[in-house]
Amino acid sequence: MIVPYTHVMLLGGVLFLLGMICTLTRRNLIMIILGLEIMLNAAAITFVGAGLHLQQIEGQAIALFILAVAAAEVSVGLALVVCIYRQTGTVDPQCIEGNKCQLKPDQTG
Amino acid sequence: MFSKPVPADSLYLAWAAAVFPLAAFGIIMIFLRRLPKAAAGVSLSAIAVSLVCAVCLLARHWHLEMPLESTVQWMASSDFEIPVGVLIDGLSLLMLVIVSGIAFLVQLYSIGYMAGDPGYARYFGFMSLFAWAMTSLVLAPNILQLFIFWELVGLSSYLLIGFWYEKLSASQAGKKAFVMTRAGDTLFFCGWLILLVWGGTVSILDLNHSAHSLSQAMVTASALLVFGGIAGKSAQFPLMTWLPDAMEGPAPVSALLHSATMVAAGVFLLGRLFPFFSQSDAAMTVCLFIGFVSMLLSATMAMVSRDIKQVWAYSTVSQLGFMIMALGAGGYAAGIFHLTTHAGFKALLFLCAGMLIHACETNDMFEIGQAGGRRMKLTVLCMTIGALALSGIWPFSGFFSKEEIMAALAAANSPVWYIGGLAGVFLTAYYSFRLIFVILLPGSTKAHGPGSQSGPEHARAVMHAVLVILAVITLVMGFFAESLQNLLTGQGVNAPGVHGPFPAKVVSPVLAIAGIVVAWLEFGRKDSARIGFAGRISPVARLFGQRWYLDHAYGWLVGRILDRGIAEGCQQNENRVIEKILHTVAGSVTACGRAAAGWHRAMIQSKLMVVFAVVFGLTLILLAA
Repeated sequence: MIVPYTHVMLLGGVLFLLGMICTLTRRNLIMIILGLEIMLNAAAITFVGAGLHLQQIEGQAIALFILAVAAAEVSVGLALVVCIYRQTGTVDPQCIEGNKCQLKPDQTG
Repeated sequence: MFSKPVPADSLYLAWAAAVFPLAAFGIIMIFLRRLPKAAAGVSLSAIAVSLVCAVCLLARHWHLEMPLESTVQWMASSDFEIPVGVLIDGLSLLMLVIVSGIAFLVQLYSIGYMAGDPGYARYFGFMSLFAWAMTSLVLAPNILQLFIFWELVGLSSYLLIGFWYEKLSASQAGKKAFVMTRAGDTLFFCGWLILLVWGGTVSILDLNHSAHSLSQAMVTASALLVFGGIAGKSAQFPLMTWLPDAMEGPAPVSALLHSATMVAAGVFLLGRLFPFFSQSDAAMTVCLFIGFVSMLLSATMAMVSRDIKQVWAYSTVSQLGFMIMALGAGGYAAGIFHLTTHAGFKALLFLCAGMLIHACETNDMFEIGQAGGRRMKLTVLCMTIGALALSGIWPFSGFFSKEEIMAALAAANSPVWYIGGLAGVFLTAYYSFRLIFVILLPGSTKAHGPGSQSGPEHARAVMHAVLVILAVITLVMGFFAESLQNLLTGQGVNAPGVHGPFPAKVVSPVLAIAGIVVAWLEFGRKDSARIGFAGRISPVARLFGQRWYLDHAYGWLVGRILDRGIAEGCQQNENRVIEKILHTVAGSVTACGRAAAGWHRAMIQSKLMVVFAVVFGLTLILLAA
């Protein structure tokens, strides 16, 4: 194994954190789904790295499952976002929930 | 031991004397509320049985050498046990006869006096309760049992003083009597706790024979505390102001209260624990002093009062002061003998006052005089006999007992007491005959006599008969002085018959006659001004009329310290501290709840953040563990 195990774990952790921050902070549903995808990928990297480290094939198998789940999830999620946008005219979750905010162009980042 | 067991038949007699009135109380209160005639009958027969038992006991144990005591164990705790039982000695026998006798006569009189009252049955029920409490009190062999009945006496006098509870002043007077005596009882309670905890015994005989483990200072402390209870019950300074207000009850209640039961209980307790008190010189001096102050203060109050019952009430306080002075000066037999004679003539005076008030429908002696109260010849005659006895004129009973007291005071350590006693004798004669002359020799009378004498003829005859019986007792009681003293001192109570020097025997009757003469000059003469010498100086009259401002002092004390000090402080504490703390606690809980609820209410990302935070936290905890 050329790449050290700790580096793989670190990469997984950092990616997960980034995804988490993205999910928690962005106010655009599409970006939130993107953050979720990043977290799923971080989990997949961790599984692959651990499988390599422990010399077990199940790690890579689960990574494949994760890809499949992620593909399904993103397609359903994007479909929902499109639906929501059509109904409410916004992709800001706060505005969808509370109907309280006027949409400002600079807030939809 | 200091006693012998009570023979079985005497024991039954003693129990019967106490228990019959209780049974009467129960029967009246449960079954006879709506049957006034039956209630009166039950109550009277119960107290008659008591009286017969008491007289039998007295006759049986007339020559008692040693106190008789029988107890059974009531309850036991780790290292002390509480017995109940009876103690029979000269004092309790004498008191038993006085209590049941006076209670019987007063109840007999009440049949006529209370006729037609809506609370007739209730009245007799309370009377029976009173009789039970008092007879049991005099038989109690230990202070705990005595204290229980002491409180019951206080309760029943509260019920009777406030008998006409629809009247505000009556219910207030009842409350005042209850609260003020309770102040004294608290001291009494502390006193006997000291006896129980440090002295190791509450048995009266043990205490009287120094069979306790108290140091001298503890003896003084407990004696003084017990004396606080006595001062409350016997209406001594400074707890004396309840007694004049207790006049709000029916007149027979006052008669009973002032002669044989409530106020007598205090002096009885002092006599009961007399050897114990004499172990402490300080306590005896306090007794002397308190008796002295109450005697003179209340005598001056009686000089200016216009209310006939109130004059007798003040004179009761004054005479109780005499008794306590006598006991404090070491004259055991003198004090108790005066209690005995006083019970007779004070009951007589109150019952006479009741007759006059009933007939003239006013309490004011000047109005009674003008309404022609003197036309009720028998009543006025009996009242005069009572007043003569109260003033201490030969051959009425008061003369003998007062002579004994003056002899005891003359033998006391300081001449102040004796001189004060003489002043008291003079004032007593003066205020009694002020009242008599005002009623007997009014300046002008209305044309017709006192209003219709209410009640049926036979009831009035019974009332008159009671007056005559009491008057006869007042007349002859004095001649039994010797034998009563033998009965009282026969069992080693260390009170040798004190006989004062010769002048003492002359001075006090002379002063009493002088008091009567002064009263005649000011109120009896044809062209007299009808203003007493105290009434001429208006500040003095005001001072006496306002009861030396004692009630004002209490009002001020209660207003300032209780209402504005303690109560206000408690309220501030409630408002500012307790409520504030509660508000803070409640507010912070609500705020926490709001904050926690906020996480759930907020947008989906915040909820997610909470989930993440919790997961991280759990992970950390699991890793640490």
